Amino acid sequence: MEVFLPIAEVSVNILAIFFLSGVVGVLSGLFGVGGGFLMTPFLIFLGVPPTYAVANEANNILATSVSGSTTHYLKETLDYKMGLMIVVGGVFGTLMGIWTFTYFKDIGKIDIVISLAYMYILAIIGTAMLVEGLGEIEKARKKIIIKKKLHVHYWIHGLPLRMRFQKSKLYESAFTPIIIGLIVGFIAAIMGIGGAFILVPAMIYIIGMPTRLIPGTSLFVTIFVSVIVTFLHAFNYGSIDLILVFMLVTGSIVGVQVGQKLGESIDSTGLKTLLAVLLLLVGIAIAYDTFFVEHLIVENVKIDVNNLNSLSMFIKKLSVETPILYGLFSILFAIFLGAGAAFIRKFFSNLRKKYSKKTA
Amino acid sequence: MSSLLKNLPSEIKKNKLKTGIFLGLSAYWGIILIGTFVSF
Repeated sequence: MEVFLPIAEVSVNILAIFFLSGVVGVLSGLFGVGGGFLMTPFLIFLGVPPTYAVANEANNILATSVSGSTTHYLKETLDYKMGLMIVVGGVFGTLMGIWTFTYFKDIGKIDIVISLAYMYILAIIGTAMLVEGLGEIEKARKKIIIKKKLHVHYWIHGLPLRMRFQKSKLYESAFTPIIIGLIVGFIAAIMGIGGAFILVPAMIYIIGMPTRLIPGTSLFVTIFVSVIVTFLHAFNYGSIDLILVFMLVTGSIVGVQVGQKLGESIDSTGLKTLLAVLLLLVGIAIAYDTFFVEHLIVENVKIDVNNLNSLSMFIKKLSVETPILYGLFSILFAIFLGAGAAFIRKFFSNLRKKYSKKTA
Repeated sequence: MSSLLKNLPSEIKKNKLKTGIFLGLSAYWGIILIGTFVSF
């Protein structure tokens, strides 16, 4: 069942997009990672050009992070002050990332840069997770308990401009979250990912935040970073495809809810090793696709706007004629879908509690 | 060092899984590093 994407100008299998975004959503919900580093390569394998895959996945991440952080806002597990400090760095990092993206696009190397960036990120995360996962399994088998230090101090903790973060109960330099935000923003802009896989360990081990505040604050930061990435991609390259975004958002929001529910009932230690193997396999597939497959030079076929259906024609015209409005619309579209999903979840959760009280 | 080398075959036999993972990861990293140099 093929659907034509008017902006990316390719046809994709609608069921494959729903299925893959749903699977990635389940993994995101299960392991607390964004999933962008899996979904973008999947989109590339499905035939979406890398520049479009990056931009549209950033828009999808915006929706899922709005959905997740609204849930955390309702549970009051979010440190705004710390989040805003990371966002300050994130804004500069994102701008630097977009400039770098533009530079490689101009010299015609952007596709290889995106593929290589994914290969390395997947190799690093996959290797680290595999080693950690195998270590955890061995420790559990031998029943070894390791006592950890309460706080480890790095050079970053000695920086000036110290301030108090009441919610996290921390007294720390503002530069620590700003530097972390800078790195996350830079990577997010080039790769179309939320950056949670960097942000979450940095919040735990470098900033030293309480674990209960980490997912909400990480998602809060991701909203701002992905808004900037989405807007700049829409405005600079006109690469946001609302039809693709809608399919991605629907699949991943449903998947995240399923993953979060599964995570409450199963032990994820063994699954972590499996996810690591999956990441490495995706990395191998990208390496094979980049280094060994001869890519055919596809001629740029001019799409006749009059042959498109009315929805595709409307999206195409809006993107070309009013890129700022289109960028804002794609952001609001993602926010609406994300927040809507969070409130629907809350509604059903309240309904279930009400009925379980009645039956008790 | 010599004792380590002498005991290496038995260590490999004992830890087949670990050796396999180590060799697999080395090959993987080797491919992507060589591929990067060839691409640029």
